[in-house]
Amino acid sequence: MKTNIIKNILFISALAFLFSCGQAGDRGGNGALSSNIAEKVYVAPGERDEQYAFLSGGYSGNLTVYGLPSGRLFKEIPVFSQFPTSGYGYSEETKPMLNTSFGFIPWDDLHHPDISQTNGELDGRWIFANGNNTPRIARISLTTFETEEIIEVPNSAGNHSSSFITENTEYVVAGTRFSVPVPQKDMPISEYKANFKGALTFIAVDQEHGHMDIKFQLLMPGFNYDLSHPGRGKSHGWFFFSTYNTEEANSLLEVNASQNDKDFIAAINWKKIEEYVNNGGGTKMPAKFAHNVYDESTHTATSTMKNEVLTVNPVDVPGAIYFLPTPKSPHGCDVDPNGEYIIGSGKLSANITVHSFDKMLAAIDAEKFDGDAYGIPILNYDDVLAGSVQSGGLGPLHTEFDGKGNAYTTFFISSEVVKWKLGTWEVVDRKPTYYSVGHLMIPGGNSRKPHGKYLVAMNKITKDRYLPTGPEMEHSAQIYDISGEKMELLYDFPTHGEPHYAAGCDAELLVNNSKKIYRIDENNHPYAIKSPAEARVERDGKEVHIYMSTIRSHFTPDNIEGIKVGDKVYFHITNHEQDFDVPHGFSMIGQRTSEILVMPGQTKTSLWEPERVGVWPFYCTDFCSALHQEMQGYIRVSPANSNIELSYTLDGDDI
Amino acid sequence: MKRAGIIMIIGSSMLLGLFVFPMWNIRLGAPQYPEPLGIDIHVNGLKGESEFDIQNIDGLNHYIGMKTLPKPDDMWEFSVFPKVVWLMAGLGILIGILGLMGKISPILFLVWFVMMSILGALGIYDFNLWLVDYGTDLDPNAILKLVNPDGTPMQYNPPLLGHKKLLNFDAFSYPRTGGILLGLGMLLSLVSFFLGRKARLVSKS
Amino acid sequence: MKDKILNSLTLLVLSALIWSCTPQKEGDSSSEASTGTDSHPMGQASVVDDVSDPNILQVAISSEPHSTLVAAVQAAQIEHVLVNAGPLTVFAPVNEAFDALPEGTLDNLLKPENKGDLATIITRHAAPGSFDLNALKREAEKGRKIYMATGDYLEVTVDGDNVSIGGAKIVGTVAASNGIIHVIEKVILP
Repeated sequence: MKTNIIKNILFISALAFLFSCGQAGDRGGNGALSSNIAEKVYVAPGERDEQYAFLSGGYSGNLTVYGLPSGRLFKEIPVFSQFPTSGYGYSEETKPMLNTSFGFIPWDDLHHPDISQTNGELDGRWIFANGNNTPRIARISLTTFETEEIIEVPNSAGNHSSSFITENTEYVVAGTRFSVPVPQKDMPISEYKANFKGALTFIAVDQEHGHMDIKFQLLMPGFNYDLSHPGRGKSHGWFFFSTYNTEEANSLLEVNASQNDKDFIAAINWKKIEEYVNNGGGTKMPAKFAHNVYDESTHTATSTMKNEVLTVNPVDVPGAIYFLPTPKSPHGCDVDPNGEYIIGSGKLSANITVHSFDKMLAAIDAEKFDGDAYGIPILNYDDVLAGSVQSGGLGPLHTEFDGKGNAYTTFFISSEVVKWKLGTWEVVDRKPTYYSVGHLMIPGGNSRKPHGKYLVAMNKITKDRYLPTGPEMEHSAQIYDISGEKMELLYDFPTHGEPHYAAGCDAELLVNNSKKIYRIDENNHPYAIKSPAEARVERDGKEVHIYMSTIRSHFTPDNIEGIKVGDKVYFHITNHEQDFDVPHGFSMIGQRTSEILVMPGQTKTSLWEPERVGVWPFYCTDFCSALHQEMQGYIRVSPANSNIELSYTLDGDDI
Repeated sequence: MKRAGIIMIIGSSMLLGLFVFPMWNIRLGAPQYPEPLGIDIHVNGLKGESEFDIQNIDGLNHYIGMKTLPKPDDMWEFSVFPKVVWLMAGLGILIGILGLMGKISPILFLVWFVMMSILGALGIYDFNLWLVDYGTDLDPNAILKLVNPDGTPMQYNPPLLGHKKLLNFDAFSYPRTGGILLGLGMLLSLVSFFLGRKARLVSKS
Repeated sequence: MKDKILNSLTLLVLSALIWSCTPQKEGDSSSEASTGTDSHPMGQASVVDDVSDPNILQVAISSEPHSTLVAAVQAAQIEHVLVNAGPLTVFAPVNEAFDALPEGTLDNLLKPENKGDLATIITRHAAPGSFDLNALKREAEKGRKIYMATGDYLEVTVDGDNVSIGGAKIVGTVAASNGIIHVIEKVILP
């Protein structure tokens, strides 16, 4: 009794404190505090977010890591683009990562990150992402948060219905947006119809190291393949791809690809095709593509060119592929956590179409087909339809789930998120977005077990949401609290590049596995030195290799003479720190490349080709310590015909 | 007397814990080190609490000109102390067994305790000497030369026991499992002395 | 019993505190984030921008002969659809077209409870995609229908220089930043 009174008094005084008009002060009174919204996104200094959000960078080619609910940016992970911030794609070790059959490409358009799964649940091992322009799939480690592997996808163009994974990460799929001649050849564009092919590529993932290898390519009819998602639970073994341009138009698609009342969702029984392939099925076809792998122990990437790919003609595997008619150029193609519902979002439609997996199987069993397209059976729309959400919105794009029986769909044209119930198809709530939302993300929302607390809407148009920054502005995302019956808009935050899609997970899944340092005793880089005492400079003809050490707050060596104009000078920098978050950087005046940032225990190489005689300085680019500004050195460059001996010192002494 | 002998054996055996557990620990915390750096002082050498702590403490200390932390070969203590511990533990166990058999007077337990106390005090005195030397014998060419408000050079010796603020670091110095076992062992030798004496008095009367 | 009294007291004190501290504001359009569902979010339509080319909504608002259409759009609360990136083609009936509707039809539709029906009728006048007059003629020539935002298909007919959509004649065309407006002389009803 007494304790109750005390509790009540405490409660009252605590609340009195909270409500004693905190918002009267500097906040400009936006009303947020009065409904506790500010508290929901406020992560106090020193505290950490509940969830990770990985947002694609779109045309930045990179992946960004944010915290939820704060919306704070933690890291930009370079994937398909050169990144001077760390030297990715500039250092000798990482240049091979961006190699392709077309040569070195400094950029791509990263669209759809997807976190690896085991038994349909996020397992936090890796995150996969697709390069849209020059078709590639990347695998990023979630212990180092670095890109570890990139595989090019041949016979594909506009690698858009990618990089989604099966529920045990057996495969990561890569579907083509553009159909193209397979193999490529010189032919009239107008002969597209019936001649071009759409390749859907299944890339096997090695469970131990995550290494990727193309298992087979399905050469589908020449439609555009837009998005895809795996079956899960009972529909595990199937993969679903949305298609548009089933008209097979090759020009003015905005009109010509909108003619058919219904396009298709392609249902693909990959287990059946896998079995067919394992039994020797399929046709090997010459195809050039790069496979780039970064080795964490040598801190070095290697690029291998492959020459052959196994292709499968859909009609050769009867019973493996069916078309589900879906209205109006479906974009999103999402599967609910139980694996029963396949949701097609016709992007020009007002309604959302939901197909039933059970009904699909029944229709297949009964062989009830409505004709075929290039030999692939088309199921009857009404036979597979589970229901249709009369949304009242316009332009549905993408659906994710909260694991509590609700689905959330974005509508681009009417600029809103609509919450609806699976099974009854009734709309429960709708909230505007600011403005014109593309995709949305609920952490785990594309798995058997969503963590349905927050929803992130990624908007395409920013306009007046932030202080203006000229004609070009960052895109805007919004966080909604979806823990209640009604969604609640919590927060706006700008995002980098153009997030097309995102994946997220609970913080606990990753925090304990995140690497702090690389162990110097496990550094197998061929040019690494295990201690500063091993630092040296070696000449091999015109090539000079500098084995350099960094530790707070000096380079070893820091005075080098005997370099000549016309030399190729390789700085192999090993960071001998074994202390969390103490990187060192390196940059050389006039060097025609970016700086490099070297993590503790890591070795990175920067190339410099001196062109002018003189004494040229270099310095540490990362504010590493109190004496960072002292962390510098000189290199003497002599004329090409000079006979100055090579020498290197620290504090005037040989090393 | 039997019980006293057993307790004496247990007590002196506890010294052997020093070969397994650290005796003492010094921890340095600062805002940029949310996981503090720590040195575990073992009877036969220093060890980082986390793998690279010693290296990182040395890295920080070079700014103020402190010597690097000693390796086992750098200090005679790390070779002598283990021998002393073996000797005292052996001696304690021996007199415990003899006491168990009733062959000696419990006063020997007290003698062991007193010897141990003297050795312990010497050890702590020596430890403090090292701390002071470590914290004050600085490289004259140190990068940072800081002075106290009164103009004397700043000293960086960590506390013998308890907390001390060293620049932006909070230094904590406390006994660890090995040291605690040592203390408990000594306490038990004292207990065995009193128990033994009481047993004697009872049996005599 | 005593507990209950105390609890009620707590609640009372709390409510008093909350009330006393809720900021009072009138006509603040930026408060929709916190004030919830009953407000009418204008969305992108509330963006102030008098430098860019006018969008479909802005063109309509500034056009006297479309005041009824604009009123209907506002009553249906679909302004933000007409400012969307689009591209959209809007077939905009003039005021007379609405006047020609059966007596009472418009008044009835403008009632708040018929918001949904009104929205459907208006969106039936918008097509995703950009169709200028030539494009409409081409569609007619190829026998293709125009897909409207409601999911209906409307037929384009060409008679000499006259182009009609769903039976309504196009009497003028205005370009907007996010699409095209064709002025029509009739409301297109299902």
